Amino acid sequence: MVCTDLATCPTFWASLGAGLSVLLSAIGAGLGIGISGPAIAGAGVERPEVMLKTFIATILAEALAIYGLVVGLLSIFAIPGLTTIEGGTRIFAAGLTMGAASLGAGFGIGAAGSAMASATAEKPDIFSRAVISLILAEALAIYALVTALLLVFGAK
Amino acid sequence: MVSDTLLHLLRDNYLIARLRGKRSKLLERQQLIALSEAKSQTEIIGLLAEGPYGPELSKLGAESSTIETERAVRLGFADSVMGLIRASQGDTHDFLVQYRERFDAYSLAGLVVFKAQGKTWEEYLTTRLPLSLMKEQELHRLYSLDDLSTIARQGGDRHLVGRLKGFSMTDIEGEKASLVRDVINGWGEERLYKYMDKKLSGLDRGNCLPIAGSAIDIANLTIIVRSKIIGASGVKDHLIPSHWKLNQRAIDQLLTAADATQALDAVASHEYYGRILSGARQKYEESESLSFIEVALRRYQLDLSRRIFLGFPYSVGIMLAFLILKENEARNLAAVLAGVSAGLPTDDLRSLLVRE
Repeated sequence: MVCTDLATCPTFWASLGAGLSVLLSAIGAGLGIGISGPAIAGAGVERPEVMLKTFIATILAEALAIYGLVVGLLSIFAIPGLTTIEGGTRIFAAGLTMGAASLGAGFGIGAAGSAMASATAEKPDIFSRAVISLILAEALAIYALVTALLLVFGAK
Repeated sequence: MVSDTLLHLLRDNYLIARLRGKRSKLLERQQLIALSEAKSQTEIIGLLAEGPYGPELSKLGAESSTIETERAVRLGFADSVMGLIRASQGDTHDFLVQYRERFDAYSLAGLVVFKAQGKTWEEYLTTRLPLSLMKEQELHRLYSLDDLSTIARQGGDRHLVGRLKGFSMTDIEGEKASLVRDVINGWGEERLYKYMDKKLSGLDRGNCLPIAGSAIDIANLTIIVRSKIIGASGVKDHLIPSHWKLNQRAIDQLLTAADATQALDAVASHEYYGRILSGARQKYEESESLSFIEVALRRYQLDLSRRIFLGFPYSVGIMLAFLILKENEARNLAAVLAGVSAGLPTDDLRSLLVRE
C-alpha cells in the first residue's frame, strides 16, 4: 500500500506503534535492571545466599522488553494486511500502551526490586513478602500487554 | 526532596543494600552477653575471628594489653567507615567525610587531656582514634606545643580558641580535664550539625538532624553541669552557640540553676529532653558521675537509628544510623574485652552494655 499523506497512512502509524512498543519497553526494562541491579549486587556482597533469589527483579524487568518485542513483532506482521487508517491507529495505540506501561512498570520494578534486595540482605526471611510489590509492578505491564494484544488482533 | 530521593535510589542503592546486609551482622545484645561469659580475651578473639573485627584482633598477641585490644576494635570500626567512604559518591561521600571530620575533635580532645596529664606522645598514640583526618605528623607537631590556645588555633579554628578561653595547660586535671574534653568534642559535633543544617534537605535532613542536634544539646548540658560541679566561671563562653531543642531560654534556665543537681532537675522537666534524661538527679547522686548523660544520649541515638532503618531507605540518614549502630557495637565490644580481661563479673559487664 502506497501512502500519499502520512497523517492518514495506516502503515506509518502501525510502524510507529511497533517501534514505540519495542523502544519504550526496552527503556523500561533498562530502568528496572539498572536501578535494581546495583542493590542486588550490594545485597549479594554481604549475603551471597540471597543473591539468586533477589535476581527475580532483573528477570521481571527483562520480561518487559520481551512483552514490548512481542507486541512489536505482532504489529509488524499485521502491517501487510492493513487497509484502513483505523487499523493503523489501533496498532499505534497498542504500541504506545505497551511501551508507556513498560516504562512505568520498569521504574516500579527498579525501585521495588532495589528495596526488596536491600531488605532481604538485612532480613532474608522477609523475601517472600517483599517480592509481592515487585509482582504487582510487573502486573501493570501485563494489563498493558493484554490490552495491546486485543488492539493488534482487532486491527484490519 | 524528590530529586534527593531519586539520587539516592539511582546512585546509592548499592551502598544502602550493603549497609542493610551489614546491619544484620552487627553483634546483638545476646551475642555480646555470650562473649562476656568467655573465660579470656583470647577466647573472645577466637570467636570473633570470622567477623569484621577478625583481621585487626588476630594481629594481637596472647599478652595484649586492654589498650591494644581496644585499639584493635576501634581499627575494625574505622575499617568499616573507610570502606563506606570508599564506596560512596557525590554528596553521600561528602557527608561521610564530614562524619569522619568529627573524629578530629576527639583526637584533639584526647591530645590536650593527655598532654595536660604529662603523658608521653607514645602513650597518646596508642589511644588515638584512627578515623581522624589529621595526620599523625600534624598531631605530633601539636603535641609538642605547650600553649592550649595555640593548639586550639592550629588544630581547630577561632571558634574553638574562643571556647577554650580561660583554660590553660597547667590547670587541666580531674573534672576540668573532662570539661575541656567536652568543649572540644562539642565543637566537633557542632561542625557536623552545621553541615547537616545547611547542606541537607528533605528526608536527609529530617533523619540526620535529630541525631546531630541532640548531640550538641547534650554537649551543652554536660558543659553547664560540669562547670557547676567544679564551680567554673564564664560558662557561657564555653558553650556551643548552635542549639536544636535546648533553646536559649532552656540554656538560661540551666545557667541560673544554683548547682548541678538543680540543673539536672531542670533538664528532667524539659519538654523534649525530659523523657531521655528522666531521673537525672537521682542517677547523678547514685553514680557521682555524668557518664549517665552520655549513655542516655547513646541510647536515644540508637533508638533514632533503629527508627531510620524501619523507615524509607533512600536517604543518607541510613548511613548515619548504621554508623551510630556500628560505633555502639565497637564500644560495647571494647567494654566486653576490657571487662573480661579485668575479670569483671558477668552481671557487672552486662550493665555496661548500651543497647538499642
